Amino acid sequence: MKIDVQSLGTFNQLAHEGAEQATRSMAQMTGIDAEVDVTKISLVDRADIGEELGDSEFVGVQFEFEGALSGDTVLVFDRDSTDEIVNALMPGAAEDPSMAQSSVEEIGNIMMSGFIDGWADYLGAGIEHTPPEYIERSGADVLPEAPDTGETDQVFVFRSEIEWLDQSVNFFIYMLPEYEPMTEMMSEHAAAGDDAIPIEKLEAFNRMTRKGTEKAAENVEMMAGIETEAEVSQISFAPIEDVPKQVGNDTYVGTVVEFTGAPSGYLLVLFDETSAINVAEALMPMETDGDGLTDQHKAAIEELGNIMTSGFVDGWANVLQQTVEHTPPRLVHDMGRAIIDPLAAQLGQHQQHAFIIDSKMKTDEVAFESTIHALPNEEELREALDELLVERAEETEADAEQIF
Amino acid sequence: MKVYDGSSQTEQTQDADPERIKVGIAEYEVTTDGAVLTTSGLGSCIGIALYDTETGTAGLVHVMLPSADEVEDGNAAKFADTGTELLVEEMSEAGADPNSIEAKIAGGSDMLDFSESGSGIGDRNVSQVRETLEEYGIPIVGEDVGGDHGRSLRLESNTGDLVVKSANTDNTRL
Amino acid sequence: MADVLIADDSEFMRNLLREILEEDHNIVGEVENGVEAVEVFKEEQPDLVMMDIVMPIRDGIEATDEIKNTAPEANVIMCTSVGQEEKMKEAVKAGADGYITKPFQKPSVMEAIQDVVPS
Repeated sequence: MKIDVQSLGTFNQLAHEGAEQATRSMAQMTGIDAEVDVTKISLVDRADIGEELGDSEFVGVQFEFEGALSGDTVLVFDRDSTDEIVNALMPGAAEDPSMAQSSVEEIGNIMMSGFIDGWADYLGAGIEHTPPEYIERSGADVLPEAPDTGETDQVFVFRSEIEWLDQSVNFFIYMLPEYEPMTEMMSEHAAAGDDAIPIEKLEAFNRMTRKGTEKAAENVEMMAGIETEAEVSQISFAPIEDVPKQVGNDTYVGTVVEFTGAPSGYLLVLFDETSAINVAEALMPMETDGDGLTDQHKAAIEELGNIMTSGFVDGWANVLQQTVEHTPPRLVHDMGRAIIDPLAAQLGQHQQHAFIIDSKMKTDEVAFESTIHALPNEEELREALDELLVERAEETEADAEQIF
Repeated sequence: MKVYDGSSQTEQTQDADPERIKVGIAEYEVTTDGAVLTTSGLGSCIGIALYDTETGTAGLVHVMLPSADEVEDGNAAKFADTGTELLVEEMSEAGADPNSIEAKIAGGSDMLDFSESGSGIGDRNVSQVRETLEEYGIPIVGEDVGGDHGRSLRLESNTGDLVVKSANTDNTRL
Repeated sequence: MADVLIADDSEFMRNLLREILEEDHNIVGEVENGVEAVEVFKEEQPDLVMMDIVMPIRDGIEATDEIKNTAPEANVIMCTSVGQEEKMKEAVKAGADGYITKPFQKPSVMEAIQDVVPS
């Protein structure tokens, strides 16, 4: 089964418009002004779905849908923002738990109808959905169980993040289509040209990325002596102008390289400032002079970024039996989105959409979290996937001793 | 159904402040009622803030690439040339007089430009914005462009002030 | 005690290598790119070069190639974060005598050096 960039773009657009329709419905009912911030399609390990929701408490509604497309979808609000939404819909309703629940169900029902209808219209076929089921859980538990994928452990997830203006409250729409009907639909919509990507190659690539993340995490552990775990690795697809939104707007420290080979593109290793200081201090044999993030910290981060970058891309090179060269790391310390925007712009000169490869690692020992983002040239990634031998996908490691 | 009862007192107080509207990448907003327009995380991207000194109409666009000619793409607000044109047109539509519009621009940093030959996207964005504004005869009355750091912007449309924030330095008011 | 030249663009890594090596060896220079590595090699004629691969101006494989062409008896150990098989083969072709991947532990560095320049 194959997928092409054109249809990925179309599906992304459908999900985005569906989320916009849902948001308009809510605005009409409540007067709350909100805007869909970003919509992306990700191919992700089923165990990692919803990891970005952290430990927060969510309230929302869940539906099953069936027809031209089948699966589960949820709309979830941050627990803390629910009262305001409920009161905006029906003043005082938040005081009465059963009334509050009913309000959430109703608003969810109307929003999600808007979300699903766009898909049905595009597919020219009906999609039925069950009555809304009220849910109240924390973190990823709020999401429905990932659909059964048979052979593979990866699923496609559509995710929209909706931002409530003037408030730092977000809510999310997730759609988890069943694997078979989804991939079949993708195949049907794929153009018959050369640029279609076999889905199993995309999955193999994702497994390589997971190994690359594990290698990068091992490198951190070995250098800093901090037990580090690879948390997530996924490949997403979004319009190029949404790429910078993959990173928060806080200040980050990290490294950026341009890589060339199969494929070429950019790779960022980012740490929030606290994580940067913590990991740099673990790396350094001596005490630092001065407070905060010093030049010594930055030098340590620069080398760590370099080593993490290699850990991440070497696997691609070894599986593809080619080289991936990268520039020496450039140290960055700036607003997250401003770091990634020049890279997206450079890719944007030749492509309208981008594949984004995201990984995250963290540790429980100290406050430490790091993310890796790779932005490959779309056409070259397609070519690399074309070359990729799925059965070699595990051959990410090279052994110097066999060569020397 | 927006109802102000006792419990939404705080909301009313907030409403007394100017409304805040976010402008995303490759998006624009125009306001005629004094809203604050913001955009964040400009690297090589550039923010073009237009203000009509006569009517107080204000607009902000966040563009990413120099010219729509280079890429096939329907979104005018993504490019410096078509994005500037679009904003001028939308402001005129909202009642602004192009003859009394002034521009302030910020962004276009050259951080992380890996292009080995020619000038980077940040530079080219700045040049293109200047060129397009000149075609409309719109003067640039304030700018904070280039360098190697990111910026976030806040256009206070009751005064036309453009506040530029960066990660490592103090705010600048243009 | 061998005379060692360290070529690495990362100050952090040069410091780390110096601390590991200076106990048993004599560090004759620390450089940041492949061009400087060749220059200082010619001046100092060290017994061993610890050579990074990804460096600005000129990479470590090219520098190794030139050093080995002018002085075939020279000893060069690649000391790099790159763990790609094709790169390792390029390093062999350029004449590298050993290959250490970062991050490394002190004993593996000592061992690699012992293999190349036995004390």
